Amino acid sequence: MTATVERTAPVTKVRPPSRRKSRRLEPFTIASYAGVICFGLVCAIPFWMVVAGSLTAESALSQRGYSFWPAPFSLDAYTTLFQGTRVWLSYGATIFITGIGTAIALAATSGIAWVIARGLRRVSRPLAVFAYIPMLFNGGLVPMYILITQILQLQNSWFAVILPLVIAPFLVFVQVSFFRATPQEILDAARIDGAGELRIFFQVVLPLSTPVIAVIALFYAVTFWNEWFHALLFLSQPEKFPLQLVLQNLISSVTNAAELGTTSAAPVYQMRLAMTVITIGPILLAYPFAQRYFVKGLTLGATKG
Amino acid sequence: MNTPGIRPAVAPHKRRSSRSQPAQKRDYGLVILAAPAVILLLVFAYGPMAGLIVAFQDFNIADGVFASPWAGLENFRFFFTSGDATRIMRNTLLLNVLFLSATLAVGVMLALMLNEIRGKVTKRFFQSVIFVPYFVSPIVVSIFLQAFLAGPGGRGGLINDAAGLFGIPSVTWYTEPGPWPWILTLVKVWQLGGYMSVIFLAAITAIPEEVYEAGEIDGASRAQMAWRITTPLLKPTAAILLVLGVGRIFYGDFATIYAIVGDNGTLFPTTDVIDTYVFRALRTRGDFGVTAAIGLVQSVVGFVLVVVATMVQRRYAKETSIL
Repeated sequence: MTATVERTAPVTKVRPPSRRKSRRLEPFTIASYAGVICFGLVCAIPFWMVVAGSLTAESALSQRGYSFWPAPFSLDAYTTLFQGTRVWLSYGATIFITGIGTAIALAATSGIAWVIARGLRRVSRPLAVFAYIPMLFNGGLVPMYILITQILQLQNSWFAVILPLVIAPFLVFVQVSFFRATPQEILDAARIDGAGELRIFFQVVLPLSTPVIAVIALFYAVTFWNEWFHALLFLSQPEKFPLQLVLQNLISSVTNAAELGTTSAAPVYQMRLAMTVITIGPILLAYPFAQRYFVKGLTLGATKG
Repeated sequence: MNTPGIRPAVAPHKRRSSRSQPAQKRDYGLVILAAPAVILLLVFAYGPMAGLIVAFQDFNIADGVFASPWAGLENFRFFFTSGDATRIMRNTLLLNVLFLSATLAVGVMLALMLNEIRGKVTKRFFQSVIFVPYFVSPIVVSIFLQAFLAGPGGRGGLINDAAGLFGIPSVTWYTEPGPWPWILTLVKVWQLGGYMSVIFLAAITAIPEEVYEAGEIDGASRAQMAWRITTPLLKPTAAILLVLGVGRIFYGDFATIYAIVGDNGTLFPTTDVIDTYVFRALRTRGDFGVTAAIGLVQSVVGFVLVVVATMVQRRYAKETSIL
């Protein structure tokens, strides 16, 4: 996204008109529009297919396959899904994992990022290296599995899904690079006024950092919302499954589909698609809200200059 | 997730004043701020590293990590002589090279093309649209893919329907291992193309205007400017993404590949990667020692690759190095 444009807007104004106003439409520009539109369509079509399919009657779906327009129109899948309890339970699970996970992740990530960004001698750099190493080297699946199941005894707890993902070293550095741009004068002023480190962080730094917080929160929320691997590994009680895992079960077997609804003659294919729509919906809705900060928050490469 | 310009710890400029302020009293605020992350990292990132000790054990659940008998290098020997090793290592490398080069190339191309779009609103609209696949879970991706390749109940799918219009015989994709590296690459491009392009676009907006003015005076066309001016200036960003990508090159994209391929054995010849192999071995055989050994090999090779890549990058593009 037009990162620096946003950030430096007061100074440089968005790209001076000299470059914006090209006298004539050049072939490259036309090709660019075509290319972007094509890629955009490729990105959007699958979503449309699934929404359309989820609204198409099962009979039509299984005879004619997918079509771009739902005919005959049917809400059967959605009514079946929402009549059962499984969808509500899995929504609860996903919301818990996403909500609590994002909150813990934000608190932990912001905290360490600020201490790194403070640039304290003998503290910040080692801490940065400490946070950076897990990006390069990790124990892998087996030790994690042993840790969660044998040592921490977290199986069938949502925290088994949350905790391993709660610090993304990469996002720590995104935040560090944003925090570094906090004006030193404001911090000094707060210090002179006698504010302690905690007060400075919560009352001065955080309020100035909305964009990066929004971006980080979005990334974490997406991670948690989409998480299914740790759930697959560590959760065995179906009533605790998050949405993605329910969806995955729905793909892998038809009997699972019947369990979701109240009737045994559940519209299986239509339900898969409806479940997909239900699963993507909220995270796509969150995106537009975060997007306006997104532009300012993800400035990494651009802030250097 | 990777992005340019990560420079941990190095902030020689501007920061001095935080030091020059003499400590009035001991303030443990910073300790409180850093503690949660440090503890979480110690337990969930460094803890498993210590757990790699299992790779050298004949691990069993009853005795646990601390009491299982030692096995020396037996686990490693077992893996390298099993015959699976070359196949899954080849697949992992091949797929990652495909993913990395395709997403980088498409990312740059999309960024160049997006850069040509004038209207602010239009531009932002398209950015949003092409970014959206990034937010979708691998499971959902696998549903999309099934719609295109298999259709309900495996009867056709959109690709076959479309091919049928041109008289091309339909393919039962889920039993053909051959095309899967390309299918998976397309999936990655679909999912990451927009994300990558945004990163590159951020780098493009940082390019000083004068460069383009100079180009304009010399009578460069838009295409020439994109190719001769913008693209070379994107190299540092691409280099960082490349180094980060190379570090992950020994990690199959487990979530995506497993969600799509699952336990479909017919596709294993081209799609089975280290991570999916480990996962299956763990689930079906419960062989902790061997799978941990594979994980260790993976981490060490990955680490070596990052170090080499970083050194190479330092040599050729010093200003963009990560640490």
